[in-house]
Amino acid sequence: MIKLTDINKTYPGAVPLHVLKGINLHIEKGELVSIMGASGSGKSTLLNILGILDTYDTGEYYLDGQLVRNLSENKAAELRNHKIGFVFQSFNLINYKNALENVALPLFYQGFSRRKRNVMAMEQLDRMGLKEWHHHLPSELSGGQKQRVAIARALITNPAILLADEPTGALDSKTSVEVMGIFRQLNTEGVTSVIVTHDPSVAAQCKRTIRIVDGLIV
Amino acid sequence: MIDLTKEIWQTMCTNKLRTILTGISVAWGILMLILLLSISQGVYNMSKGFTSKNDPLRISVWAGTTSLPWKGLKEGRTIKLRARDMEEVAKSNTEYIASVEGNLRLTAQVSTNKDYLSSRVTGTFPEHFNGRYTLRQGRFLNQADLRDQRKVAVLNNKSASVLFNDTLNVVGKLIKVGNSAFTVVGVYAHEWEDDVYIPFSTAYALSGYYDKMWENQIHLKNVTNEEQSAKAERDARNAYAKLQNFDPKDDNAIYTFDRYASSIEQERSNRILTMAMWIIGILTLITGIVGVSNIMFVSVKERTHEIGIRRAIGAKPRKILGQIIAESIALTTIFGYLGIVFGVLAVEGIKYALRNASFPLRPEVDLTIAIEVLLALVIAGALAGIVPAIKATKVSPVEALRDE
Repeated sequence: MIKLTDINKTYPGAVPLHVLKGINLHIEKGELVSIMGASGSGKSTLLNILGILDTYDTGEYYLDGQLVRNLSENKAAELRNHKIGFVFQSFNLINYKNALENVALPLFYQGFSRRKRNVMAMEQLDRMGLKEWHHHLPSELSGGQKQRVAIARALITNPAILLADEPTGALDSKTSVEVMGIFRQLNTEGVTSVIVTHDPSVAAQCKRTIRIVDGLIV
Repeated sequence: MIDLTKEIWQTMCTNKLRTILTGISVAWGILMLILLLSISQGVYNMSKGFTSKNDPLRISVWAGTTSLPWKGLKEGRTIKLRARDMEEVAKSNTEYIASVEGNLRLTAQVSTNKDYLSSRVTGTFPEHFNGRYTLRQGRFLNQADLRDQRKVAVLNNKSASVLFNDTLNVVGKLIKVGNSAFTVVGVYAHEWEDDVYIPFSTAYALSGYYDKMWENQIHLKNVTNEEQSAKAERDARNAYAKLQNFDPKDDNAIYTFDRYASSIEQERSNRILTMAMWIIGILTLITGIVGVSNIMFVSVKERTHEIGIRRAIGAKPRKILGQIIAESIALTTIFGYLGIVFGVLAVEGIKYALRNASFPLRPEVDLTIAIEVLLALVIAGALAGIVPAIKATKVSPVEALRDE
């Protein structure tokens, strides 16, 4: 599903920063993988590259059999839209849109009709147990509920991979367990997930843990 | 479309006060534009009102006194416009002159059993009526009336009511012109003229073939520019000079007024006025537009994180661009529309205030102005939005990962 070969990334500047120093990574379909590392280790950069939010200098990145390299903004947007579901630490819901509209947004960018979008968004909310909350604004939802809305939004396009950046970082321990439960449940349904975290208890619930130190996988 | 409308509505509502304040500046700009354009339209209508009552496709000629000696004749001779010269003058330039006609005034009183008029009696030609009068009843004079020297007359509607106490069933009734009985064939309306018109040939005969006309009208044809009307005028003047023995260069022997050239001049100055109004109006509007542009910048800046999220979940740059421009257009158009509404109310107010004014300035907003202004608004909105929108597309999707 994901195949990284010798990925290098340097941030240019007065003192160039060599962040990723030859990353080799292989993630199969249906895996639940965590990426752990201290801040500054390069894990965020790796996540950005995996999510096609950032570019890399050398190496090769295959996502779902497709080489991701020198993409135009439009093509990158399209790939993100179709292949990747993002879950963020701070949920990143649009605060003036209700739960249903937030979940349906990726389909809006695929050009789905309003009715079809809403039906599909409702299905995803139902899957997350939030059907009754569909008309609530993010500010009217609890942290756990917001993250579940975000997961529903990530899943609606049926992506090849779910990328989560500290998905439990803003949640209390009880809710964290709940959200991790969802990732595990999704894993049994065959969803491939990559979770970036520095919380060992989160990593422990994943089937495989990748540790990254100073730009290298150890 | 519904989605876009909803998005725009949602973003407008997130900061109502700011939206309204910006909107007011746009509305004000539009209001000023509407006011200026309607006033220039009023001025245009005013001058057009004068010229249309004076069919512009003609040259008027009045007789004068010679000021230059010519072929042994001294200056100071009085020139007469003679009926028999008209045909010759018409022949002087068959390309541009359609016909030449004149008015012959009779000193005769018009009366019925009931009352009499103090109006002039004027012998004239069918061309005299070209677009200058509003026909209320019956018909104007025609060629047959002239050929047969018919005793028929066309009256002003006010005169008709004086003579008959009735303006509706006047056609076919008899009036006395001097000592002859004339049949009324038509009733016209005009703002200031109230002559009783009879066929030229009839008047000529009644006057005992008295050969002194008040004025001649040279009706033009095929004329599309001022050089052509000037050519017609020159040729006609030469013809008069030859027939009446005066120096063609003598400007005082006959006076001419090229109404075509003057109407062109009028049109031109009206266009300049309208253009000036547009420029001033648009400059006013620009103040509003800069405000909108500024607000869109602030809005884009504030929503950097949101735009990042949208980009991360797959919004193409074009979509973001379109949305910001659409928001800008919506903002200008909605408030611009309010400006149009208040502008029209203001124009109506001015019209009401000027209803009894002595000068006929009637500011007016017609559909064309409204459409043009609306178009100007949409363009202005798009322009205001374009730079902020481009800035928005530069937002990197990585912004989504940044904590607020």
